Amino acid sequence: MVRILLKFSEQTVEQPIVSQIILDLKVPLNILTAYVNSKGGEVLAEIPDEALEKVVAAFRMRNVTVSLPKLIEVDTEKCISCGSCVALCPVEAITLDEEYSVVFDKEKCVGSTCSACVDACPARAIKSVKQNNHELHSSR
Amino acid sequence: MEEKALKPQKNTRTIEEINQKIRNGDVQVLTAEEMKKLVESSGVEVAFREVDVVTTGTFGAMCSSGAIVNIGHPDPPIKLENAWMNDVPICHPGAAVDLYIGASAMSTTQPYEYGGGHLIEDLVAGKEVELKANSYGTDCYPRTQVKTNLTKDDLNQFYLLNFRNCYQHYNCAVNSRDETIYTYMGKLLPRMRNATFSGAGELNPLMNDPDYETIGIGTRIFLGGTQGYVIGEGTQHEASSLNGTLMVRGNAKKMSPEFLRGAAFTRYGTTLYVGLGIPIPILNEGLARKTAIRDEEIFTNVVDYGVPRRDRPKLARVSYKELKSGGVTVGDRRIRVSSLSSLKKARKIAGTLKDWIVQGEFFLSAPVERLPLDGVFKSMKQTEAIVFVVNVMQKAVTCRETDAVSAIAKRIVTKSVNHIVVVDEQGKLTGIVTSWDITRALAEGKDALAEIVTRHVFTAKPDEPLETASKRLAQHNISALPVIDNKNKVLGIVTSEDISKQLGRK
Repeated sequence: MVRILLKFSEQTVEQPIVSQIILDLKVPLNILTAYVNSKGGEVLAEIPDEALEKVVAAFRMRNVTVSLPKLIEVDTEKCISCGSCVALCPVEAITLDEEYSVVFDKEKCVGSTCSACVDACPARAIKSVKQNNHELHSSR
Repeated sequence: MEEKALKPQKNTRTIEEINQKIRNGDVQVLTAEEMKKLVESSGVEVAFREVDVVTTGTFGAMCSSGAIVNIGHPDPPIKLENAWMNDVPICHPGAAVDLYIGASAMSTTQPYEYGGGHLIEDLVAGKEVELKANSYGTDCYPRTQVKTNLTKDDLNQFYLLNFRNCYQHYNCAVNSRDETIYTYMGKLLPRMRNATFSGAGELNPLMNDPDYETIGIGTRIFLGGTQGYVIGEGTQHEASSLNGTLMVRGNAKKMSPEFLRGAAFTRYGTTLYVGLGIPIPILNEGLARKTAIRDEEIFTNVVDYGVPRRDRPKLARVSYKELKSGGVTVGDRRIRVSSLSSLKKARKIAGTLKDWIVQGEFFLSAPVERLPLDGVFKSMKQTEAIVFVVNVMQKAVTCRETDAVSAIAKRIVTKSVNHIVVVDEQGKLTGIVTSWDITRALAEGKDALAEIVTRHVFTAKPDEPLETASKRLAQHNISALPVIDNKNKVLGIVTSEDISKQLGRK
């Protein structure tokens, strides 16, 4: 699965673009987070890797800006296992195990659209990093 | 009586006896967590008989930490006046080349991200740091500038000297405001969406010897990965309220970055995470009982850091057991809670100290002087009055959402104000409109207030210092804050104009 970040303008936000694309391409598009109002919006969605090219093209054709969101990465060398980040994570991607070690679940993390943990880490062990966006550029 | 005489049972043991057992290799040591389990399963009497020492540990942000360094004399010599290491300003409290690196001093080039704590960690790790210094020059110390690179091996002395460490327990922090705040208790989300706490609870050294029977001046401890000493009570020490603290010292050249870490708290500043552990000799049954203390018996307050006052509201009382479970209950709400100190490292410290003692590498020391039990932590005596929002706020000109724009335009003119606060029938805040909004509405021919009202309103509380309210105005680039009570009822308004006038009167 690959995560894409969709940005809707005031003009495009009114249209049922996501539904149209799901119906047209028959792609299982999973919305992870969505912040939308009448002025526009930002939607983080997950799609199968093989559908990336045609999905990106379809959104761009409808004037939606598509980018690959950055992912969150934890430097376990720097991490001091304080756990400051745990309660800040809205999707419970960060937990403490029995030994009070911080466990980070990349699958659950919604990436740079959230980043709530990044500036809360006293050891500065959490960073936003770019996904490999080779496919995205080649589909332009 | 007779039976007791036949089977004499000692009800005390001495530190010398324990040290002899360490030499003999048959000392019995448990970590505080293991001790609690033993007392629970076998009782205090058995625990006292079987256990000689209980080890404790804590690893948390301790801002009142720092290091004494003596850098040696250059040629020609200099009496340092201002000094920086890796751009962190270093305190120069004494003679020519003695310096004190404060953990919370921030780099002039990377403030909030790099500071004294990081500098100490870098030196401990063996890294080279850059020293820059200047001075006014004297007959005996003619030099006025110096610049060099140093590692810990180049320093004569490099001692960790922390004047307040090892807080016995600490607050649990939440934030009732509408905005995220960044504090020394970490990042606090709006409307109490998270909580933070600090401290190791049942593993904390002072919690296991709350009457300071064995911890005093001269007690040998684990500090930053090596042996150190308690040299007194820490600043703000208040044993009676379980707010004990320690002053400690240790040879930083022998310390390890595993137990000494620089840290950055966003929009607050830098600090040092210090690893500290204390062995508690089980000299009597009372100490066996005290070292069995559990997280469920240690309580702290949930405190609202959203209120920018010294005495912040206490919203609930919670145990360390709840805190460590990941959630606390405040009223009818469950709030997720994070630890700021590392329980994993606290455990590791207690375990390491246990190993040192068992392996005969660490001997216990008796304190040469007890720590005070009657100290009181006083607040500052203030000789200057502070201005609060209530002192400058004005009566708010209000309207209802059903009012016409033209009617509000008139009110702005007759009352000569720039802000109209929109309220409901109970006088509760629902929005705000400015003269600018009204002008625009009139120009665009809109007459329904609902179309132009701003509903997300930044507000102030009457008992908040004027300084924090004016900071909020600047932060959001606005010119007025409705003043509301806890039930959202409008009490008045404070404007940038009122604040300017207040400043002008000073």
